[in-house]
Amino acid sequence: MIDHSMNRKILRVCLYIFITISSVFTLYPYFVMFFSSLKDLDQIFRMPPTIFPTTWKWDNYITVWKAVPLAKFFLNTFIVSIGATALTIVCAVPAAYALTRMEFKGRNLFMRLIVVSQMFTAVVLLIGIQRVLVSLGINDKTLLSLILVDGAFNQAFAVWILRGTFVTISRELEQAAMIDGCGRFEAMRRIVLPLAAPGIVTAIIYTFINAWNEYTVALTITSDVKKKVLTVGIEAFYGYTFVQWWYLFVVALLATIPVIILFMYVEKNLVSGLTAGGVKG
Amino acid sequence: MNKKKKSLKKKLKAFTPYLWLLPSAILLIVMVFIPIIRTLWLSLNDISRACIAKGWNNFANYITTLKNPTFWRVMLNTVVWTVSCVGISTLLGFILALILNEKFHGRKIARTILIFPWATSLAITAGMWKYIYDANYGGLNALLNALGFQSVNWLNNSHPWQMFALMIVVAIVVTVPFVTFCLLSGMQGISHDYYEAASIDGAGPWKRMIHITIPHLRPALNTSTVLNVIYVFNSFPIVWTISMGAPAHMTDTITTYMYSASFKQFDYGTGTSVSVIGFLVLLAFSLIYMGMTMKREEM
Repeated sequence: MIDHSMNRKILRVCLYIFITISSVFTLYPYFVMFFSSLKDLDQIFRMPPTIFPTTWKWDNYITVWKAVPLAKFFLNTFIVSIGATALTIVCAVPAAYALTRMEFKGRNLFMRLIVVSQMFTAVVLLIGIQRVLVSLGINDKTLLSLILVDGAFNQAFAVWILRGTFVTISRELEQAAMIDGCGRFEAMRRIVLPLAAPGIVTAIIYTFINAWNEYTVALTITSDVKKKVLTVGIEAFYGYTFVQWWYLFVVALLATIPVIILFMYVEKNLVSGLTAGGVKG
Repeated sequence: MNKKKKSLKKKLKAFTPYLWLLPSAILLIVMVFIPIIRTLWLSLNDISRACIAKGWNNFANYITTLKNPTFWRVMLNTVVWTVSCVGISTLLGFILALILNEKFHGRKIARTILIFPWATSLAITAGMWKYIYDANYGGLNALLNALGFQSVNWLNNSHPWQMFALMIVVAIVVTVPFVTFCLLSGMQGISHDYYEAASIDGAGPWKRMIHITIPHLRPALNTSTVLNVIYVFNSFPIVWTISMGAPAHMTDTITTYMYSASFKQFDYGTGTSVSVIGFLVLLAFSLIYMGMTMKREEM
């Protein structure tokens, strides 16, 4: 018995050590980013390097808005993220609903298309995507293009999560509403959607974050400085001779903090949505 | 007349599900499946520097690519990148999930910290690590100096494997949270009855893990492994930001190699053929994945 509790104590200590090391390792870059965002050119390139700033340059957070069109970058990112999220949800909700509530030929085929589309990230298809944008005549409309691409590549997850939510909602309420004269669409809007709210919110936030963080497609199709999103906009600080790290980190932090907060909000639902969607019929 | 109307109504009814799928289907076809076909078709053609197809060329793009030793180095890199990153992340994620499944002080904080790398844009994470690794003023050497050690030239062009390993570390940091949360959610789905029954039978913690936790975790493990293979295989921002493939493609993976061939050198022949080879590898993988999910659904 004594042996047993001794073992437990050792295990407990190991647990704390492991979790502390991984937390420090994870957070260290964010500390570096924060402290470096408060340095100036002299302090960043000082030899030997220091961790903490010697004078704290809080005004970096103000001057950065003039160093690059940061407000524009934020606005562009916001437009793309909102647009892509709206598009994803408007397309995914009826699809997920049909997949859980209706019997029809090709249902499995569509599910397969969804799964296959999940296997491709936009990166591998960049050349093809660019050709399609040219064919559609929207290759110079960067924000619209990004909305379409982000919307499409988030379809799979959105349908997946929504399908996982819809199957848990009983059909009886809907059927009762339909007997009372509601059309199918009305029944979905009034009965299913409110009950599926947690799943829908998860899908919305997840898509929003993905679009907000997207980098590769935006990097490839952006030709106009005024159309840059944040992830591409920070490239401006990578100069030929040196990098303006302090500004880069200011923007990085400003762009990251809201997303982390949003993420915390859906983390629990998100993970169960990702794993459960695949298992439930 | 009535009969005809009824059958028309029936036909319309049979058609409704497709109407519901239409928006999603159009979006997927236009933005995902047509690009797949376009890339495939382009790869079989002579392509100009403006990305215009100039006729069938007997797989010349593929032959050139496959004969190029650089491509094979990139392929080797991609395999090393994917296997080591997914393997190590899965192991670390499993340990973290086991820990987070226990009750202890600070569990909530640990969970929250783990969200950081997951929620941060890869472009930003990569930039942050590029700075940390910097030989002259980076955050890692600052830490080493503070602890009394010498600075190290981390991203040394004459040691491409060292550079590559350092980038794999970054890939692991951003992959671990997803694995952890996936497995954690799987663990929380395992009924306590199993563990109680096993305890009564005298099974120790190790035995319980082998006989209960791991078998029940298989679906979650499959999901996280397959999705991670796809993400990590296709990962672009880390390598692109930190090394851009330097020196001479020695640290490129499939995606960054494809990118620099197409969008820097305008060699779309190499770009498209590398793309297709990359997505064939993933397609093979996705078929296995579908096989697995179907088996699971039968269960």
